[in-house]
Formats: sequence, C-alpha cells, structure tokens
Amino acid sequence: MASVSVRRVDEVPDKELLARHAQGDPHAFSELVNRHRDRMWAVALRTLGDPEEAADALQDACLSAFRAAGRFRGDAAVTTWLHRIVVNACLDRIRRKSVRPATPMGDDATFDAVAPKMPDPTDAHGVSLDVHAALLELPFEQRAALVLVDMMGYSVDDAAQVLEVPPGTIKSRCARGRARLAPLLVHHRNRRDRRNVGGVEGGGMPK
Amino acid sequence: MNPAHIDYDTLADLAEGLLEDDQAASVNAHLDTCAECRERSADLADVSRILAEAPVPSMPADLASRIDSAIAAESLNNATVVSLEQRRGRRHWRILSAAAATVVVLGGGAVVGKAALDDARDEGQASATRTTPLLDGGDQQASQKGTVPSAPSGGQAEDGKATQRTFAAHAPSFGVARTGTDYRTATLGSQVNDLLGKGNEARLEPRKPDAKLAECVASVTGGRAPVLVDSAKFEGSPATVVVLNGAKPGRWDIWVVGPDCSPRDKNVLTHVTT
Repeated sequence: MASVSVRRVDEVPDKELLARHAQGDPHAFSELVNRHRDRMWAVALRTLGDPEEAADALQDACLSAFRAAGRFRGDAAVTTWLHRIVVNACLDRIRRKSVRPATPMGDDATFDAVAPKMPDPTDAHGVSLDVHAALLELPFEQRAALVLVDMMGYSVDDAAQVLEVPPGTIKSRCARGRARLAPLLVHHRNRRDRRNVGGVEGGGMPK
Repeated sequence: MNPAHIDYDTLADLAEGLLEDDQAASVNAHLDTCAECRERSADLADVSRILAEAPVPSMPADLASRIDSAIAAESLNNATVVSLEQRRGRRHWRILSAAAATVVVLGGGAVVGKAALDDARDEGQASATRTTPLLDGGDQQASQKGTVPSAPSGGQAEDGKATQRTFAAHAPSFGVARTGTDYRTATLGSQVNDLLGKGNEARLEPRKPDAKLAECVASVTGGRAPVLVDSAKFEGSPATVVVLNGAKPGRWDIWVVGPDCSPRDKNVLTHVTT
C-alpha cells in the first residue's frame, strides 16, 4: 500500500483512517484503535468497574467498530463514534450480567473477582480506587455521563452525541450523579482546611 | 430567606442551569446567607474536580494484543467473505489481500504483510508485490493458507466464528526474506526495526522456505506466526533471523539461529526481545 508510506500513518486524520479501513487498507483500523485505545479503555473500565468485563466489552466494541466502519456517516467525530460503540458494548455487558445472577457460580465468581479490588477506605493513596468504587454506586446512565463529561472532559454536547440523548438529559444525569457522589467522596476532598475555617462560623449554626 | 438547607440534587441542578428561574433565584438567595449550603455547593464542584483528577488508566499490554488478535481474526474472516463475493461478483480483490495481510501486521504495527506470503505461489511472482499470492490465489483455499499465521487461538475472539478456529489449527506458513543484512548483537533490535519500518516492506521480497528451514522456524516460533524470517548473516556468518511480535506493538521477539537449525537442535545463536 504505497499510500501508507507516502505520509506517516500517525499524521492521517481519524476519518481518513476509517475510510481507508473501509476500502481495505490493512493498517488503518489497528492504527485507529492504537491511537485511541487508552481513552477507550478508560471509558470501558470506569463505566463497568470490573477489569475483566471492561476488557471483554472493549474487545466487543473494537470488533463492532471494525465491522461497522462502512456505516460511519461522518457527521460526528470518529472518537465520538468509537466511544458510542464502547459505551453500548458496556451496556450490553451490564444487561447480560443482570440476567446472570440466577447462576450461583457466575455470581460467586463475580464477587470473587470484585472483592479483592474493593478499595480500603483507610488507604491514603487510594483516591482513584475510591472514585472507582463510588462510581459503581451510580446507575449506569449517570455513571456513563459523568465518565464522559467530568472524567474524560467531553463537552455536554459531545457526550450527548456519544450517548445519543439530548444535551439536557446529559446535564440532568450529571447533576444526579454528582449529587449522589458528593457525600461518598467527602472524605478525600482537599478542602479540609477551608472547611475547618468555615466550621467556626458554620458549626455554630443550628441544622 | 429559605430556612431549610438545600439538598445536593437541587444544588447540582442549579450548577447545571436546570432550575426554573424563580427557583434558581430563591436558591441563590439562600446561598447568600448560608455557609453550610455554600459548602455543599463546593462539595459538588469538588466531585467534578476529583473525577477529573483521577488518573487515566493505560490499556494493559495483554489486552492490547488480545484485541489486536481479535481484529486480526476478524480481518481473516472478512477476507474469506470477500473472496467468496469475489468469485461471484468480480469485485476488485484488493480488499481481500489487504484485509488478509493485516492479520500478521497488527501486532507489530507496521509492515508485516510479507509474512503472510505463502508457499502457494511461485517465487517470481512473490517479488512483484507482497500481496500477489493472495491476489492470484483468489480462491478461498489460497487465502486461508496465506493468512493462517496470524490467526489467534480461536478462543480469543469471544463470539469467534467456527471458521477462525479452523484456520488457527493450521500450521503457520511464511515467506523467507534475503535482505543480505549482517546482523550484529549490539544492533540487532534496531536492524530489525529498520527492516520492519514503514515503507520498507518491498525490499523484503519473501520467498518460499525450504523444508528444513520451515521445520526450523516452526520449532523456534512454537507455531506462532513470524513477522519476519530473514536468511542473512549474523556477526558475519550465515544465519537466519526469526522475528515474532513482542509484548507490545513495535516490540520484537528476535531469534537468531545458525544453518544447522532443526527441530532437534535449534542452533540458537542469540535471542533478544526489544
């Protein structure tokens, strides 16, 4: 593929890579995945919580994207499209999992897999683990919205495209999620000092 | 002033601009007078900050290669489908060969189509373009053989098709390059990197291995698909360099074996991973 060697492949825009893949360029899709894999992994891992599930979901997502590339319409960014596929793959996993607890084996295995990863609240450097655990307290929709907007830095509009809901829905899901997380994350906030200062005044006020 | 404190939900809605104007005004008025609720507001802002500061995890290397393999298997599968369409519809076959070649390429990133070259074609053709064998093969049989090397173990593609497993059961086939490189211990990794760098694939011109070399390479690779097999020199003496994909894309697992290499004695001169 002479075309590949003309320009360094890492300079090729996402959309062109996807188009090349659809035309049969053997390097294009793997380049695309390599380019975005850490962010795709972050979305999957944070949305599902469990590394094994996330790995399976991400593999599903990559294969879906590989097959669906020809149907990419080009009206959104490729990353938006990729993340939508990742989120949908995660949702599929969750749906399948919610059917599963009927099987005792699967259920136990799931708990065994998750248990050692549960964060120790006394762990001083466990902030991200803590965040991880707190996120799992949220319903999937709220978690997915917060992962995209607050963690991955997507705009509300972009997150709305990924999740295929109106922007107002994203805002509302983010608001619900943050409200639910606020008390859960209280203990590793860096505002202790400020709060103590304020506590002199605020502490005196009747609840 | 509102005597009751305001809950997180309402404050979060306020921050997102989701409250009606009059409700927002009354909440704001309360915030002006209530330090406790201002604290709560700040708590919410902290949630976003804490989430944003959580480190982005890197994809584990084993997952990256697992996904590469799954995609490779998918390419393989696609190639077969296309080739069937080909025979009926006479679409340009390039898609087939390109997709099939991917198979070997994926793990290493760049070039590796040449390893997919198969014994099926005559050697003169092989040098014309590295995908020629697949092209000419056109029929499903040839494409299967040509792409076997990179088929991952069937279990990796979870909903993998039965055909993929069948492919994986075949022994890998490969082409042998004669680059004339004199590999040196100190520079082995970079020499391999240069050869496998983008744009260099045309120079490799893989040929069909003889039976002895085929056995040797199979014993070295343990059935995995080589990225490159180069009959060349090592420290000035004839040797064969066998390159497998390393732990990560762009990393290599390099074996150098002497001319006496056989399944019984591989005659390994050196083994380097990059």
